[in-house]
Amino acid sequence: MSKMQINITVNGKKQELLAEPRELLIHVLRERLGVTGPHVGCDTSHCGACTVDMDGKSVKACTVFAAQANGADITTIEGLGGPDGLHVLQQMFKEHHGLQCGFCTPGMITRAYRLLQEIPNPSEEEVRFGMAGNLCRCTGYQNIVKAILAAAAELNAAKEAAQ
Amino acid sequence: MRESRDRIYPLDNRTASHMFANLMAHACICFRVGMTDQGNEIKMNVAPPRFGSKSLVGSPLRRKEDDAFVRGAGCYTGDIAKENMLHAVVVRSPMASGSFVIDSLDEALAASGVKLILTAEDVAHMSDLPAMGMRKGPDGIKAPYRNIPVLCRDKVRYVGDAIAFVVAETVEQARDAAELLEISFEGAEAVIDTGEALADGAPPVWPDADSNRAYVNTLGDADATAEAFKNAHHVTVIDFVQNRLVSNYMETRAAIGDWDGERNRYTLTVGSQGVHGTRDIVSRILGDDAELRVITPDVGGGFGPKGFVYREYPLVLEAAKRLGRPVRWVGDRTEHFLTDAHGRDNVVHAEMAMDGEGRFLGLRIDLTAAMGAYTHQFGVAIPWFGVTMSTGVYDIPALDFTLTGVFTHTCPVDAYRGAGRPEAAFLIETLVDACARDMQLAPDEIRRRNFIRPDQMPYRTPGGRLYDVGEFAGHMDRAMENADWAGFPARLETSKARGRVRGIGMASYIEACAFAGSEPAFVALQDDGTVTVDIGTQSNGQGHATAYAQFVAETIGLDINAVEVIQGDTDRIAKGGGTGGSRSIPLGGVSAYRAGEALATKIRKIASEELEASPDDIELSGGQAVVAGTDKAISLADIAKAATDPADLKAEAEFKQDEATYPNGTHICEVEIDPATGIAEVVRYTIVDDFGMTVNPMLLAGQVHGGVVQGIGQALLEQTVYDETGQLLTASFMDYALPRAGDVPNFSFETRNVPSITNALGIKGAGEAGTIGAAPAAMNAVTDALYRAYGVTHINMPATPAAVWEAIRRARE
Repeated sequence: MSKMQINITVNGKKQELLAEPRELLIHVLRERLGVTGPHVGCDTSHCGACTVDMDGKSVKACTVFAAQANGADITTIEGLGGPDGLHVLQQMFKEHHGLQCGFCTPGMITRAYRLLQEIPNPSEEEVRFGMAGNLCRCTGYQNIVKAILAAAAELNAAKEAAQ
Repeated sequence: MRESRDRIYPLDNRTASHMFANLMAHACICFRVGMTDQGNEIKMNVAPPRFGSKSLVGSPLRRKEDDAFVRGAGCYTGDIAKENMLHAVVVRSPMASGSFVIDSLDEALAASGVKLILTAEDVAHMSDLPAMGMRKGPDGIKAPYRNIPVLCRDKVRYVGDAIAFVVAETVEQARDAAELLEISFEGAEAVIDTGEALADGAPPVWPDADSNRAYVNTLGDADATAEAFKNAHHVTVIDFVQNRLVSNYMETRAAIGDWDGERNRYTLTVGSQGVHGTRDIVSRILGDDAELRVITPDVGGGFGPKGFVYREYPLVLEAAKRLGRPVRWVGDRTEHFLTDAHGRDNVVHAEMAMDGEGRFLGLRIDLTAAMGAYTHQFGVAIPWFGVTMSTGVYDIPALDFTLTGVFTHTCPVDAYRGAGRPEAAFLIETLVDACARDMQLAPDEIRRRNFIRPDQMPYRTPGGRLYDVGEFAGHMDRAMENADWAGFPARLETSKARGRVRGIGMASYIEACAFAGSEPAFVALQDDGTVTVDIGTQSNGQGHATAYAQFVAETIGLDINAVEVIQGDTDRIAKGGGTGGSRSIPLGGVSAYRAGEALATKIRKIASEELEASPDDIELSGGQAVVAGTDKAISLADIAKAATDPADLKAEAEFKQDEATYPNGTHICEVEIDPATGIAEVVRYTIVDDFGMTVNPMLLAGQVHGGVVQGIGQALLEQTVYDETGQLLTASFMDYALPRAGDVPNFSFETRNVPSITNALGIKGAGEAGTIGAAPAAMNAVTDALYRAYGVTHINMPATPAAVWEAIRRARE
C-alpha cells in the first residue's frame, strides 16, 4: 500500500512519518511514536480512552486517520503537565480519587482539559454532559466530576488572582 | 432533576484509625464506629487509640500509584512493545453452532508479513482449558466438564469460538491474512435462550449428552420446606430473568508470549488477577517441561473475568516458541463482548411461604443458570455461591433450592463482580418487596420482622453459611434516616405535579467475601531504609500499592512512600492467591500487617544492639529507630547495613481464614420516571454499609461508587442480546449501554461498621458490595414507582426506557 507523508506536532515536537492511508492517529501515536498515554478502549469512538486534543478540539484518535491529522497540533496526556509538574486537572484527579485502574484516565483528563476551555466555570450537570463521551468502569464518575469541578475552581481562582 | 448531594472526604477524619487502634488493643470488640464521606462521625465509643492520630490505617491517604497514571505513564500489557515483536489475531467462528473444515491456509500463509498460522492440529499436544468446582448432583454423581479446546477441532459452539491464530509482522498484516483462510462451515440450529435450553427438541450444544442440562445441584430441606408451605398463610411467587452482562473493563485483554530456548522457559505478560493461578493453569494446558514465568503489569480493570485463563495465553507462548520472537495479541472491544466470560444470566422462579404477620416460613427456589457453550474456569461454581447466600439477611427456617446449569450456544459465563452473590441478593430482595406488597406491609416493616437479630449471632443459615456478626436493622434505620425515607411522600407529590411518577426502593444485602483461604505477604528492609512488600494478590485498580503500604508503614513507622508494594511476577513472589471475591484486603491486609509487625520486631532487635538499649524501649518512627525518651537513634538504612544475617531484614506472615466474612448494608434508591419516554432517572441514592473495618475511606468510597454504578447499569441499561441464530447483537458500545457520567447521580455513602470476629482485624471486604446492593435497590425503586402509578408488580432488568414505556402502556390498556 502506498504510504503518505504526514507532518504532525505532538506535545510540541514536530514529527514526520510515512503512514498507510488506513492508518489511524491512535496507532501512529502509540505504535510509531511510543506515546502510549492515550489508550484504545473500543475502536468505535464510544469510550474516549484515546481522546487527544487536536488543533484545540477533543478528538477520539481511534477514529481519526493519520492523514486527517496531517499538519495538526496534537496534545496528549503526556503534554498536559508543564515542565515543573502536573496540570491542575492531573493534581485534582489524584486529590479526589478520580481514577482507579487508570486506563481511561489519560483520555478523561485530556477531554476535561478541553471542556474547561469550552466552559471555564461549568455546573456539575455540564461536566457530566461534557464528559459523556468518556467511559469509566471503575469510579462511578462521582470523583471524576468532583475532580474536574475542583480543577475549574482552582483555574478560575488563579485567573482572577492574575487579573 | 437530580437531588443528591456531593460530599467531600475529610482529611482529618480519624474515626477508622481509632477503630483500628482499638482492634489492635482489645481482642474483645464491643464498640462500633462509622464514618461518612461528609466527615460526620456517627457513633463512637472509642478508648484512647494505641496509634493515636498518626495512624495510617484508616486514613484517606492519597494513592501512591496515581502519579504515573495521571501522567499517562501507566504500563498496561498493550503498551508494551518488545524488540522484534510479532502480532497475532484470532480467527473466530462466525456462527453459533456447526462444524467446519479448514480447506486451505496457503493463501493466508503466503500473504505479506505472515509468519505462522496455528490451528487445532498444531496445538493437539495441549490440554483443554480446565474448568473446576463441579459439585455432586442429587444422584451423588458429578456431571462431566465440557472444557474449552485451545482451538476448535471441527465443531464451533458459539459466535467467537476460536479456530485459528495468525501471526504476522504487523497487526494489520495478521488481520488481512485472517481474511484469507479458506474454511467451509456447515451451520446447525442453535439454542440461545437460557429458558429454552431444556425445551423438547432444543438443539444440543453437546450432542453426546442427553440434554443441554450441564448439572443439577440441590440445597436445603425439601420436606421441611414443603411442610412450611403447607402451613403458610400466604405464598408470594416471583418469576424473573437475571440479565446477562459483559464486564467491560476499559482495558481489553492482551498477552505477550516470550520464549527463552537456552533456559527452556516461557514468559507470559498478561493483565491478570493473579500471576500464580495463571501460571499454574497455563502450565497445565501447555503440558511440556518448560518453565513458565508470568508477569502482570498495570491492569485496566478486572471485575472477575480478567482472572481467568483464556485461549490466547497458551497460543502466544506456542507461537513465540515456534518463531523465537515475542508475540503480542491485543483483543479488541468486540472480541471482549464475544469471548471474555459473561456474567449472571439466570431464569428464576421463587416462592416465599409466610404466616399471617408476614414472617417468612420457607423459601423455595428453582433457578436455571446459563453456562454458555462450555464449562468455563469457575463457571459451574458461580451460581452455587449465590445458592448458599439465598436467605440473605433473613431468618428463614426452611430452604429448598434447585439449581440447574444449562448449556446454550453462547459465550461461556463465569464470575463477574459479585459472582453469584448479586444474583442471590437480587432474588431475595425483590422477593421480599413482592411479599411486602402482598401482605400490605411497608418494605422496612417486613424486613424488620424477618431480619436475623444481633442476638442470634453467630448464625448458621440454611445455606450452610456462618454469619459472625451483623446489625441489619441498624444499617437499615440509618439508611432510611440518611435517605429521608419519611420525606418521600412529599417528593412524590412534587414529582406528580410535574407529570412524573416516582418510586423508592431498598435492598438490605449481605454477601460473602474472602472465602476460606490465606494470602502470604513477604516484607523486607532494603539498603536505603525503605521496605518492600511482595504479595500475590493483583491490583486491577483497587489501590493495593497504597492499602498494603498503609498496613506495613504503620508497623514500621514509615511514610507510605517509603513502602513499595510488589505484585505481578512469579519470579519475584513465591506464591499467592490472586485477587477476587474481595479477598485482597481481608486476607492480604492482615498478612501484610503481621509481616510488618514481625519485621518491626527484628528491626528493634538490631537497633537495640546498635544503640545498647532494650528492644522494648525502641520506637520506630520517621524512618528511624529511636530509644524512647532520648535522642539516641539509628536510621533504618543503617540498621540494614548493621544486620549480620540477611534473614534479620525479612519477615513473612500468612493469615488463614476458615470461614468467609459477611459485609452487609442497606442501599436506598429513588427514581423518577417520565411516563412519556419511559426514562427512569436515579435521583437520590443512599448507602450505609457495614464493612467491619475501614482501611482507607477514600479507596473504600471509590469501590462503592464504582460498584453501585455497575449495579445500576445492570438494573437500567445493560443487556447482552443474541438473536435467535446466536449472533451477538450487542457487540460494541454502540449497542451495549454502559453507564455514562450523565446516567448516574452522586451517592450518599456512609459506613456503620461492626467488626468481623472471623477476620483478625475485623475487615469484611468491599470490592463487590456496591454492585450487590445496587441492582435490587434500583429495581425495587422502579417497581415501586410503576406499582404506585399503574399497579405494575414486575418488570425485568434492564428497565430501559423502552421496557418501562411498554410496561406503562400495557398497564394502561
